[in-house]
Amino acid sequence: MDAGLIPAELLKCAVVESRQVGAYRLISFVAPQIANLAHPGQFLMIRMSGNELDPLLPRPMGIHNVESDLVTMLIDPVGKGTARLAAAGIGDRVSVLGPLGMGFRFEGEAPAVLVGGGIGISPLKLLARSLAAEGREVRCLLGFRTRKEAVATELFSGVRTDVITEDGSVGRLGLVSDPLPGCLAREPGKPTPEIFACGPSPMLAAVARIARECGNAAQVSVEAHMACGIGSCQGCVIRGAGGYLRVCNDGPVFDVEDISWQ
Amino acid sequence: MAVNLEIKLGPLELAHPIINASGTFDVLAADKALEEDLFVSFPFAAYIPKTVTLQPRAGNPPPRLQETAAGLLNSIGLANHGIEAFITEDLHRLESLPVPVIASIAGEETEDYGRCAAMLDSREEVAAIELNVSCPNVELDGRALGLDPEKTRQATVLARQATSKFLIVKLTPNVTDIIEVAAAAVDGGADCVSLINTVHGMALDRYSLKPVLGHVTGGLSGPAIKPVALRAVFLVSRELDVPVIGMGGVTTAQDALEFMAAGATAVAVGTASFRDPLAAAMAPELGRLINEHGIGSASELIGVAH
Repeated sequence: MDAGLIPAELLKCAVVESRQVGAYRLISFVAPQIANLAHPGQFLMIRMSGNELDPLLPRPMGIHNVESDLVTMLIDPVGKGTARLAAAGIGDRVSVLGPLGMGFRFEGEAPAVLVGGGIGISPLKLLARSLAAEGREVRCLLGFRTRKEAVATELFSGVRTDVITEDGSVGRLGLVSDPLPGCLAREPGKPTPEIFACGPSPMLAAVARIARECGNAAQVSVEAHMACGIGSCQGCVIRGAGGYLRVCNDGPVFDVEDISWQ
Repeated sequence: MAVNLEIKLGPLELAHPIINASGTFDVLAADKALEEDLFVSFPFAAYIPKTVTLQPRAGNPPPRLQETAAGLLNSIGLANHGIEAFITEDLHRLESLPVPVIASIAGEETEDYGRCAAMLDSREEVAAIELNVSCPNVELDGRALGLDPEKTRQATVLARQATSKFLIVKLTPNVTDIIEVAAAAVDGGADCVSLINTVHGMALDRYSLKPVLGHVTGGLSGPAIKPVALRAVFLVSRELDVPVIGMGGVTTAQDALEFMAAGATAVAVGTASFRDPLAAAMAPELGRLINEHGIGSASELIGVAH
């Protein structure tokens, strides 16, 4: 599949589903064009429609899922912008630009190990579905702080899933990276497993270190504050191996070797 | 009755008064995301690419952005690939735009403005040159050259000697008397002044209580600074005989209307384009508002607040 840049459009879309999933809010809206074009790991710039100036800018969010005409997002209401989106009711309109950025690249037949931390699990849903549709073996490691966030594991029904919580309230106690090395060995007759990860920076750094130590290819989806989402403002940069990289246009998904992890 | 929206900015004949603020709309990058949508209804009557400098600049360490109440703090730090790459790689791609291109240049010292202007002087693709003397993100204390009237004058003189192109000097609001700096630019040979660049600001992390931005301080833009900008445009345009490009928090056609009434000949949209990449497509609405006020044309609106 092509993970490249695809024409994007600012759309005003009606919310048709809004429900709580543990600590997170799940909203769906009708956007046939985005649903049709979205590649796993791509993101949208999204805000409530209207003239409100605070919050001012749209928020970048990974696409959680698409289903016929519907696009679904998972929201962690941590700040003003996300809280406002999480409060969207059915019939409210959201303004959406996307799909944007370079998503996960997948070729070949290697078993896929998906690693998600907190709200970083969101884009792994569409990824897990797409990989499975291509006949890839998929296993998810989903890490959360507590039981409240871990409720979102229900969104991954039908996928082989291990849950890890920092307080041990559900699943294994510890960090999501703890069981990762045990999932990376090459099985006879199969290619070496490939890692796809999304989550907070310390988690991604741990994934990068483990991937290097165990000799597995790994792609990570990075989060950054953005103003435009389309390469204009140069605000979302991270340190790359050869200089700054724009998360919006060069990413948000990067090969671990392309990022400077110091 | 249709309102005539055309305006003259020196030798530039613009179809309407709405242009972009440098650094807020990268047409070459946005092109990938927006494609034909962008070119079918290109929202700007002139296009100003991001400021370039003599040498490439990587920009400031991240984080570079923080949203504040109705505003945006940034500390990009003039990240750009240098004027040579701009001339050899970008200019011919920008030539396909349906509007005039205004190149924007900045320097670490006054001499840089002369050198950069000289490099652009022979380029037909460049309709005018903006001297950005007001980026607050180059030094920690925001010590832009444009804080000093004499340095502003010197930079303008050197650029003026290097080119016959229409010269716009972009001013910072972070001064005691912006009229004095604007007058120095005009005295140095500026054909036009552009104001305002961002307002000095900073934000602290709510948990760590440490500065959010990697550069510690930054520049504030967006609707939060509109009154600051409107005042500066009003005062400078009343005192000086050159056209003024007004900007600072312009988000709606009503804002553009007010900036023109305050004395701006053209109005630049910046942060609003981050909110909505087609936010600047406000010229038709501006025309409707001008008509509603019983004014016959955009040029007659300029300075009616004086």
